[in-house]
Amino acid sequence: MPGDAVVKHVVTFGRVLREAGIEVGPQRVQDALTGLDAVELARREDVYWTLRQTLVSRLEDLEPFDRAFSAWFERAPTRRAAPRTRAETIRPVASFAGGGTADAEPADGQQTARGWSYEELLRQRDFASLTPDELAHVRKLIARAGDCRPLRRSRRLRAHRRGHELDLRRLVRASLATGGDAAERSFRRRTLVPRKVVLLCDVSGSMEAYARALLLFVHAVVGTGRGVEAFAFGTRLTRLTPELATRDPERALADAAKRVLDWTGGTRIGESLKAFNDEWGRRALTRGAVVVIASDGWERDDAALLGSEMARLARSAYAVVWVNPLKGNPAYQPLAGGMRAALPFVDRFLPGHNLASLDALAEVLTGIERRHAA
Amino acid sequence: MTFASIDALEQALREASYLPDRGLATALYLASTLEKPLLLEGEAGVGKTEAAKALARAQGARLIRLQCYEGLDVAHAVYEWNYSRQLLHIRAAQEGTVSEAELFGPEFLIRRPLLEAIESSEPVVLLIDEIDRADDEFEAFLLEVLSDFQITIPEVGTIVAERRPAVVLTSNRTRELHDALKRRCLFHWIGHPTLEREIEIVRLRVPGVPERLAAQAAAFVQGLRRLELAKPPGVAETIDWTQALAALGREELSAEVVEQTLGSVLKYHEDFESVRDRALVDLVQEARGAR
Repeated sequence: MPGDAVVKHVVTFGRVLREAGIEVGPQRVQDALTGLDAVELARREDVYWTLRQTLVSRLEDLEPFDRAFSAWFERAPTRRAAPRTRAETIRPVASFAGGGTADAEPADGQQTARGWSYEELLRQRDFASLTPDELAHVRKLIARAGDCRPLRRSRRLRAHRRGHELDLRRLVRASLATGGDAAERSFRRRTLVPRKVVLLCDVSGSMEAYARALLLFVHAVVGTGRGVEAFAFGTRLTRLTPELATRDPERALADAAKRVLDWTGGTRIGESLKAFNDEWGRRALTRGAVVVIASDGWERDDAALLGSEMARLARSAYAVVWVNPLKGNPAYQPLAGGMRAALPFVDRFLPGHNLASLDALAEVLTGIERRHAA
Repeated sequence: MTFASIDALEQALREASYLPDRGLATALYLASTLEKPLLLEGEAGVGKTEAAKALARAQGARLIRLQCYEGLDVAHAVYEWNYSRQLLHIRAAQEGTVSEAELFGPEFLIRRPLLEAIESSEPVVLLIDEIDRADDEFEAFLLEVLSDFQITIPEVGTIVAERRPAVVLTSNRTRELHDALKRRCLFHWIGHPTLEREIEIVRLRVPGVPERLAAQAAAFVQGLRRLELAKPPGVAETIDWTQALAALGREELSAEVVEQTLGSVLKYHEDFESVRDRALVDLVQEARGAR
């Protein structure tokens, strides 16, 4: 074990890292100390690599680690990112998700009085025209609609009565009793498992009336388990999966709003998709996944980039679904440059302007097959 | 075989035709000193798998490789019973004389990579390649093996490793791995090499390549990585490409020969087209000017 001074140094450094948001457990500190014992402390480079390899385990943490390392061991000032205060953008989201005071769910008696037709009415109403009161009520129904997940055949085999593959392990066991005659045959077959889903939600200004409802839907899909990734985009792409993994929709949406810096800003769909393809598509996140894009297709930039990035996306995805709230209007025609450029690569083109359309979306997602015509 | 210092390991890898940077050498050294698995991540083609192979060569150890894929299960990763042989055995014996212990003896056991690595009495490097392709269930199982270095077979009992194999896991980050698994491992991110190192690597891996060609090819690929490509080329591509150029008998780059052979560097059609139509001539100029 290294000397006391080193131990103290490393333990304190662990605390500095924790403050920088890196998860450092006691086992890791232990490893770092054992590692330091094995290298030459005089070589700064070796100390750096040893600490980095024992204390950090993900790419995202490398940059904060480097900053902390140079601050701690070289006494250089750290440059801290300015704290972000987005109070004005957080509020509307929180209240929509049903903040404490805005809990305007109708009392029991009221609900019965309004009855089925009230709910049916809500189902058909455009999200943009709902009062805060009605929104609070719809919130639960959206969560129910979003509890959906496409399935795919797994490569794994499970015991099944009507399978096609012999379960040899069982067969041998059974044959022991009968002297080699397989009196009873057991089969296995491939099972169904959840398919990967990637959801990209437009939160730019033109989508303001729908973004929150759609994000609630996204939150519910994220809640169906592993293999779902969620992103928001306006002028830039923000990954929201960790924020939306929180069970409570109210907190999840508030956390998400804090992360998104360009809420109700402009739209650069092509740029955002490019960022997605470069960072996540290259890591094969989209391979075999159902990709859902919720956007009105108003592109501020050149639509050509959007088209080529959609082509890239469509090639690796299992199916691409585009949800456009404007399509809720029967008179809507996808004439805007962005939407027109994207449509050739879209397998299903659906509205998402009210509860009924989200239910329809859920149904499409559950039963989706490859390469439908839009 | 363990190494006395990072320098000694670096030297041994160099002799095994692999040029690690200081970071990777430290990672491999720590992994063997702390007896912990090493998780290597990085873009495709930066030499993750090659690092494990080189470590095996440097240590004079046997490399056991488990290639992960979706649906990988215990029967393909750890062990399986040889069912057809078991059935034949039951048949061949007189009725009622086959005992269970006999049927589940070592001669009916098919050893898959993990069991082989645990059971081995000689030094072994266990390479678990592209762990991100296996599914969650397998990752959870692996966690058990990697923390205790033991495997339990219900019919036989628990097999504990006599000597712990050096374990290298690689991942292309197609998905995030479980924190629990990461916690068991040392972590190293392999980036693209610097120009000098890349030239050195190419010259080591393509014996007899003209020095100028190696330098220009490496400089050209480094230039490609600065462009916004769907899939920037890795060192593996640089090596392949230089091999192709050397096979064509080239001494240096020209726009014409680059265009003919660019397909071994850029594997995406869009990348190929955009480089050919826009950046190619400038990059060749730049690469030729480098040396």
